[in-house]
Amino acid sequence: MITVRIEPDNEVKTLEKINTTQQLLTRLNLLSTQALIIRGEELLTPDRRIGQGDELVVRKVVSLG
Amino acid sequence: MKCRRCKELAQIALPSHHTAFCRDCFERYFIRQIETGIRRQKMFTHEDRILCALSGGKDSLALMWVLSHLGYDVTGLHVDLGIEGSSPMARGQVEAFCQDHDLKLVVVETAPKGLGIPEVYKALKRPICPVCGKIKRYYFNKTALEGGYTALTTGHNLDDEVARLFANTLRWDQSYLSDQGPALPAEAGFAAKVKPLYRVTEFETAAFCFLKKIPHVKAPCPYSKGASFTSHKALWATLEEKSPGSKIAFYDGFLERGRPAFAALEPGHGTKLSPCRTCGYPTSVEWCGVCRLKRQVAGLPPEAAEAEE
Repeated sequence: MITVRIEPDNEVKTLEKINTTQQLLTRLNLLSTQALIIRGEELLTPDRRIGQGDELVVRKVVSLG
Repeated sequence: MKCRRCKELAQIALPSHHTAFCRDCFERYFIRQIETGIRRQKMFTHEDRILCALSGGKDSLALMWVLSHLGYDVTGLHVDLGIEGSSPMARGQVEAFCQDHDLKLVVVETAPKGLGIPEVYKALKRPICPVCGKIKRYYFNKTALEGGYTALTTGHNLDDEVARLFANTLRWDQSYLSDQGPALPAEAGFAAKVKPLYRVTEFETAAFCFLKKIPHVKAPCPYSKGASFTSHKALWATLEEKSPGSKIAFYDGFLERGRPAFAALEPGHGTKLSPCRTCGYPTSVEWCGVCRLKRQVAGLPPEAAEAEE
């Protein structure tokens, strides 16, 4: 299970059966250049593996005005 | 995924460039993209005095950071729109950024001028984004001209430019298509306007701000819900995902082949501008849009705008 905080909505979700960044993006219905996937001090590319217990930030990047 | 340049673990994948970069190589790539844009479009030199419009968002703050890093003489300009909750946050972010990086900043408040966005919204009762844009452009230009700045920069990125070009194309707006671009020269009453981020996407500016630890406003403007540019951006994101590189190809192709064709149709058809009777801002009618708006917000009749000032 992983925990994600989605910005700017500040919504927190716990998700299961997510093994890669790409799977996380797909689960959240996001394209790869629509959000930064942040783990601690690093950005994760779509091929990176996500581990059990990871806490991630999904920062949507589309300016909404 | 490895960094194309140094082969370290990549942090940013850029499908549009068929590449990926680590933290340090991405910073180098990002700054070079901006330098290339400035050089190709002959935007400004190190002799220019540059005014950089700062909203508090990722794009404008990233731009200010890069221009300062490259040694340009740059001053920030923040227009405080008087929106409860949102504006103090944006202004605070800009002021903190400029203080932390020892950068010059000018702040203009619209509410004392009768143009706070909540009051404008109440008076107009229609989508506010185009009107807000008009007010900001007015004060950007006025501040640039009055302060003797030779270039006005904004943080418009490739996604913004493509969304705007797409909207102009959907309407086949010949006038806008004849001069849309990342560099507009100074002309009577208007400062030179440039968009040095036109070669980078908002994904890239967001990544840059994260990696450089530049705090920025992330919450959307409370008045922007339903704005058309967001749906255009979503369409383009889908297209770009399927065909990486579509955005830059569309925009570069327009600059190279589309705009000259539209510009050739425009000479002699452009609207003649003269100074606003109240404030001197270039306008196609007697009073400029902002002076007319001020009267409308104040509940005054549209005539005799000059009596107000």
